[in-house]
Amino acid sequence: MTTRRPALSRDPAPRAAARSLPRGSGPLLVLLLWEALARATASGFIIAAPSQIVHHLATHAELLLRALGTTGWAALRGFVWGNLAGVLLALAAVLVPRGERLLSTLALLVFCLPLVATGPILRVLYGPGAGPQVTLAALAVYYTTFLPVLVGLRAAPQGWFDLVRSYGRGRMTELREVRLPAALPYLVAGLQIAAPAAFLGAMVGEFTGAERGLGVLTVRALRALDLPATWSIAGLAAAVSMLAFAAVGWLGRRLDLAPPEVLLAPPVVRGRRAWSGLAEAALALGVTLLVWKGSMAVFGLPRFFARRPEDVWSYLVTAPGAGAQRQRLFAALGETLVLAVPGYLAGLLLGAGLALALALRPRLAGAVIPLSIALRSIPIVATAPLIVWALGRGATGSIAVVATMIFFPTLIACQHGLARTPRAVLDLFAVYDASPLLRAQLPAMLPAFFASARMAIPAAILAVTTAEWLATGRGIGALLATVASTSDYGMLWSAIALIGLASVLAHALLASVERRILSRTSAEQLAR
Amino acid sequence: MRMSARPDIRLEGVAKSFGAAGRRIEAVAPVDLVLAGGQMTALVGPSGCGKSTLLRLIAGLDAPTEGRISIGAETPDALRRRAGLAVAFQDAALLPWRTVEGNVALGRALARKPRDPRAIRDLIALVGLSGFGRRRPAELSGGMRQRAAIARALAGEPDLLLLDEPFAAVDALTRDRLNAELPPLWEARGATSVLVTHSVAEAVRLSDRVLVLTPRPARVAADIAVPLPHPRNADVLASEDFRALCSDVTEALRVHQFPQSVAAQ
Repeated sequence: MTTRRPALSRDPAPRAAARSLPRGSGPLLVLLLWEALARATASGFIIAAPSQIVHHLATHAELLLRALGTTGWAALRGFVWGNLAGVLLALAAVLVPRGERLLSTLALLVFCLPLVATGPILRVLYGPGAGPQVTLAALAVYYTTFLPVLVGLRAAPQGWFDLVRSYGRGRMTELREVRLPAALPYLVAGLQIAAPAAFLGAMVGEFTGAERGLGVLTVRALRALDLPATWSIAGLAAAVSMLAFAAVGWLGRRLDLAPPEVLLAPPVVRGRRAWSGLAEAALALGVTLLVWKGSMAVFGLPRFFARRPEDVWSYLVTAPGAGAQRQRLFAALGETLVLAVPGYLAGLLLGAGLALALALRPRLAGAVIPLSIALRSIPIVATAPLIVWALGRGATGSIAVVATMIFFPTLIACQHGLARTPRAVLDLFAVYDASPLLRAQLPAMLPAFFASARMAIPAAILAVTTAEWLATGRGIGALLATVASTSDYGMLWSAIALIGLASVLAHALLASVERRILSRTSAEQLAR
Repeated sequence: MRMSARPDIRLEGVAKSFGAAGRRIEAVAPVDLVLAGGQMTALVGPSGCGKSTLLRLIAGLDAPTEGRISIGAETPDALRRRAGLAVAFQDAALLPWRTVEGNVALGRALARKPRDPRAIRDLIALVGLSGFGRRRPAELSGGMRQRAAIARALAGEPDLLLLDEPFAAVDALTRDRLNAELPPLWEARGATSVLVTHSVAEAVRLSDRVLVLTPRPARVAADIAVPLPHPRNADVLASEDFRALCSDVTEALRVHQFPQSVAAQ
């Protein structure tokens, strides 16, 4: 996929070692080790043995399948709605270029709202039933489809647009003949990521008080410290997610799509002045507040739980006791950031570092990449409790959850970025027998790295709040769970607003770092 | 409705510059030109001199900073809107998800001409791509892609054909073949054509008139008529006249591209 070293430097040793073991003995060995490890640490309540898992799956097959069906159906509906919304948003952004920045900011803001917080609110809104699950599944996927489709709709070379224009045809022809077909491979890539994400969203939705589903069983198993049940559900959720991921990938290959065109000369960034950035931010803030307040008024939501922006303001600033409430909120945010930021950085750096290391050992990459693509599709809600159990309820566990959530997508994105190093540039370094790693491959990787760093912000929020909610009982995730169960809606809405604000700020900070670095290393990539 | 199938191209004080004030780059200096209808005019000049910019101005893809362009009695925009012109782009600009047939057919569809599978097949045969109609661009060589792009440009039956270095990415032998085979295609249509090229021999061989442009900003340095008979067969190419014209163009290029070396002589 990336660099192939000359045949001379190939090392025949690994193949010889692999041959000394009978075929298929690898997985068996892993299972045996796993079983042994589980039995040795049985007192620690961390690892369930494969035999226990199989036993649990066998004895609870009917229950698990019914729950899987419930969750899967909600996930599927959310998948359809969320992707539809993502595609329509991307189309709107392309057809109305002036509104694109605003639309992107709002879309990001909504995506950054932690499912853990929106869940309880949706539960109150919908009452019993599958509404919250479907909505959360849709919310979990629309942005990851919106972004690639938007890129795809714009990723066509200028020459194709000139072609359409040279016949005097307008935007609709451009859309039909150039943008839509060009975006199709990007849509498939988005749908592929969306498939497991929808499943995750549906499970989180079930945490908020559904009657049935895998999410309900997860909460029950966690409360009862039922190790085999937790592992079985995690395994089941992981298997379904990987299958969904693989199925969409297969569909994409069946459609025989032309591979996504690599964009070498995207449209130039317009010169931006400081005040225009500020004006945009103010506009985004204004529109957000307006939509927030307006939608509540339009739907006539009771003020008891549907707090307006001014309620949040008074709750945190002017009301009696606001000081204490503010302190509680910011203390929780502090606890969360202490875990989220190191986890975020660790996940990014480990992912990028491993991608670079694998560039040196392409043969190894062939084995690691498919594995990490599979692991990426495992829903965090299934694995978070296991990781926290394994590493403890202290900082290490939560940091590891966040890092794991970010690690795999970063690795894969960086791998793609590295693969884009032009062949001729690699040949140039090979001619001088110099390593292209730092001078050619690293700069080629950076755009993909930053793209994945941006996507990792909402992922980090989701991971850390989920871990806090389900396992550690600290930070803003736990605060959200507590106030949701005690109907303290003032605090709930305040926390949501604060998280939204923080994530948009983090995004803006990252974007400015990205612009600064990319303008030096790969100016041609600075399109967005 | 049509003014003429062989429109003149008239440029009056046309100039183009890019970039914001302070860092302005002048690409085309004010030029006045009339390119006669039904003729092929070649624009030659050093790399980056503004040849392609001039072509894009004539196509109406970019607007001139100053001056005006008319094609027949129309503006380039009006001509474009009634699909009266076609461009063969430097990089072929074939849509990768369409087959060769699909790409050529797109030329008719975009020009709002009725579907005509037979005409498409004939055009594909004319550019020597018979048997490749069902292939995607990625499966073709550079030369084949260029030929497909030219077939697409001709498919819309344009009054004005603009060729932007259509053979730049093609090997010398293929280029020679295309130079021999393609002119009859547009000569038969009698369209007014403009060819941007680097190759002096190609310019003289294909055109009725060669305009030599100066380095940026583009000005007309030399205006050389090519009164050679059509078709330009091997005899014509071997003639003393052909060689003399080529060296005239080369000399004009050299004088304006390397004025220092001329002064030193």
